[in-house]
Amino acid sequence: MKKFLEVNQLAKKYPIKGEKNTFLSVFENINFSMQKGEFVCIVGHSGCGKSTILNNLAGLDSPSSGNIIMDNKNVKKPSLERGVIFQNHSLLPWLSVLKNIKMAIACKFKELSTKEIEKRALHFLEMVELQDAVKKLPHELSGGMKQRVGIARAFALAPELLLMDEPFGALDALTRGKIQDKLLEICEKTNQTIFMITHDIDEAILLSDRILLMSNGPQARIAESVHVNIPKPRNRAEIVNHPNYYLIRNHLVDFLINKSSEIAKGIQNNTIDDSEMPKNVSFTNTADLENRKAM
Amino acid sequence: MSRENIQTITLSLLILFLIFFIGELATTNGERNKKELSEYEQLMGLGEPQAHVPGPIEVLKLAVKELSHPFYDNGPNDKGIGTQLFYSILRVLAGYLLAVVIAIPIGFLIGMSPVFYNALQPYIQVLKPISPLAWMPLALFVIKDSILSSVFVIFICSIWPILLNTAFGVMSVKKDWLNVSKTLEMGPFETAFKIILPAALPTIFTGLRISMGISWLVIVAAEMLVGGTGIGYYVWNEWNNLDLTSVVFSILMIGIVGMGLDLLISQTSKYFMYQE
Ligand SMILES: Nc1ncnc2c1ncn2[C@@H]1O[C@H](COP(=O)(O)OP(=O)(O)OP(=O)(O)O)[C@@H](O)[C@H]1O
Ligand SMILES: [Mg+2]
Repeated sequence: MKKFLEVNQLAKKYPIKGEKNTFLSVFENINFSMQKGEFVCIVGHSGCGKSTILNNLAGLDSPSSGNIIMDNKNVKKPSLERGVIFQNHSLLPWLSVLKNIKMAIACKFKELSTKEIEKRALHFLEMVELQDAVKKLPHELSGGMKQRVGIARAFALAPELLLMDEPFGALDALTRGKIQDKLLEICEKTNQTIFMITHDIDEAILLSDRILLMSNGPQARIAESVHVNIPKPRNRAEIVNHPNYYLIRNHLVDFLINKSSEIAKGIQNNTIDDSEMPKNVSFTNTADLENRKAM
Repeated sequence: MSRENIQTITLSLLILFLIFFIGELATTNGERNKKELSEYEQLMGLGEPQAHVPGPIEVLKLAVKELSHPFYDNGPNDKGIGTQLFYSILRVLAGYLLAVVIAIPIGFLIGMSPVFYNALQPYIQVLKPISPLAWMPLALFVIKDSILSSVFVIFICSIWPILLNTAFGVMSVKKDWLNVSKTLEMGPFETAFKIILPAALPTIFTGLRISMGISWLVIVAAEMLVGGTGIGYYVWNEWNNLDLTSVVFSILMIGIVGMGLDLLISQTSKYFMYQE
């Protein structure tokens, strides 16, 4: 199958202040690909470079070496084909909820009339159940509501690829759960291709088709690519009963606690070969277990 | 009306009463002293009755008289207070608006481009602390017109706060909002008008307000210097006539008009404020 997005040998270095010709290498040899309609989460310790990768994908930042190819085109600068949901929602505070979304839609769908723009905006606000808050200003909304406006804005633009940087990081568990359910529902309908950063492994398992695991920085790598072999549609209450759930979960926890730092050490001492990274991990043997249950 | 409002109004009225009371007391004392002047002083005319600090009631009487026909014009040395204020406001507005038109675009440029910022910074730093009145002789010589010279002085004193606040407002536009404009593929003009301008407007208005305040301070001094018309000239003229009641009255009017101008801008700015 043709790859929709390909990331090749991506690396990011920053010059170290006060020292000439020495660099801090945030990450190196980052290789991964995504297919259309895939939901990929990336997990790793703080500071390993997840946001930097996402900003590179968005075109807001450029890599020191390597390239990103989407739809056979090199990613060089931001584009309406790649929507971004930022961690801090980044709504324009002087515009109402509706106007925020209308402005974005007007930028992408230049052929639409004012009426059609409004209709589309309202449609997506209804989708996140904010039809009663359209006239409000962002500061009059709760954190969860703001994040939902951000989601509505991103989906209203129907980007080829949607990038999300810890979109629910600042929310309480209850609100976070509700918005995750909403996102599951919307993804089911739209089959949106999504790349998302998260710190929450349960969230990653619930939402994604694949989870990329990053080793610790500096010189971080994407070490593994874990397939989430749990059939969709999923829901939070039932997913924990799936036999793969704890296998995947335990694998992720073990990676974050032990392997991420071991790999980092190995790479710094040159005792680990990274040419085969990311290693594909899949818990397929339980798939027939699932079949047997169904019979 | 809330309890707090009632307290505020009561206190305000009390202060007004105190001002009147103390004012009256202080000034009548002065008059009584004059009656006890020595013969010598009376001979020398030192106790001239018209040259005294007026009491509040006297000022109030004059205010009623002046404000009942504020716009009369009986030649160069006898114009109504309204006419004089009108001239001053006109000059302030002319210089001020000129400054707005020039300072906001340049401020934008400085705020958006570090090169411009660093290149212009030394000039701004040197020009900014110069008292606007110091420009007056040069302005009079070059422009050869006293009215235009005072307009220029207003221009030169209002330009700096607007310029610097605009630049500062533009510079402190959040990176997130600029990223929004980038991901929406906005062009430079769209970004300037739809993102940067609305984001910077509250800061720009701070500059507009400071400049208006300074302009109104400076016009009085400028008109005292160049003469002719305007409230500054009026104050100085009344001082020359030793009509201190008119002086106090015009001081009061300067304050009230200044407050009005400030209110005008602060009320307008409310439409452009936002809360994060
Ligand atoms: N402008 C910069 N100059 C130097 N180093 C930088 C710069 N920006 C980021 N870094 C470094 O790059 C590394 C990766 O940063 P990044 O924000 O991508 O981490 P992250 O994985 O998103 O972390 P978190 O989970 O905390 O958000 C960090 O160690 C940071 O110190
Ligand atoms: Mg981050």
